[in-house]
Amino acid sequence: MSQTTLGEFEEIVVMIVAILNGDAYSVGVINEIENRLNREVSLGAIQTVLKRLEQKGLLKSEFGGTTSERGGKRKRLYEITALGQEIIDQTREQRNSLWEAMPRLSFNLY
Amino acid sequence: MKKKAKKPSQIAMRFFYWFCRPDFREEIEGDLMEQYNNYYINYGYAKANRLFIKEVILLFRPSIIGNFNHLSNTNTMEIINHNKRLVTILAIAIAILIIPLVAMNFTTDVNWSVFDFIVAGILLVGTGLALEFILRKIKTLKYRIILGIVLFVALFVIWAELSVGIFGTPFAGS
Repeated sequence: MSQTTLGEFEEIVVMIVAILNGDAYSVGVINEIENRLNREVSLGAIQTVLKRLEQKGLLKSEFGGTTSERGGKRKRLYEITALGQEIIDQTREQRNSLWEAMPRLSFNLY
Repeated sequence: MKKKAKKPSQIAMRFFYWFCRPDFREEIEGDLMEQYNNYYINYGYAKANRLFIKEVILLFRPSIIGNFNHLSNTNTMEIINHNKRLVTILAIAIAILIIPLVAMNFTTDVNWSVFDFIVAGILLVGTGLALEFILRKIKTLKYRIILGIVLFVALFVIWAELSVGIFGTPFAGS
């Protein structure tokens, strides 16, 4: 069975989509990343990652409404899938186990 | 008085329309417009436009371009390509007409009257327009080649008849 792993940026995007809970679309995700992580992201980068995550089955999407500031164009709203939730849970567990296995270097310094 | 239109760079927008996968266009165009409006409110027109162009350039990547087939298949590009081709054909016709005009200044062997230039001009531009018509209407390569050859043979025969009279018609030249 092939293992689905996430890159650092992919992980952030999946988590932001989960945080936005049904209201996630590319510009919203960019704003959220800027506000929460103080990190600038281009539209090209976010679109690429969203499409890739959707292909992997971690996210699903549908067209949402239009606003005048979007020039009457619909936005694509993303949602996390059950597989996506499972993958970020796994990622978190793996990281936690690595943190726990790491020796406390600071104690050895004294 | 309003100094500048609020719209972002139309060249960048056309470039985006050209390269973006057709099924992604609507959502990404909306995203671009929303980003541009946010930039406009925060930074004003000049910087917003610069950032808009930067966003379009950063969107130019394989995942957004997708299959290359659509790049030569969009309506916008077809119109631009058609017009560019027509201008090229007309420019070639004019360039051919300039050859005897230049030659007349260096040799007495070439001696064209104004009427000759008008007839040659009509013939060349007519052939150019006919070629453009064939290229626009006929989409099969095989028929394009056949009709193209027929057109150029006809041009050559008429040209030869008008200049030296190979068939001896009333229009034949000497």
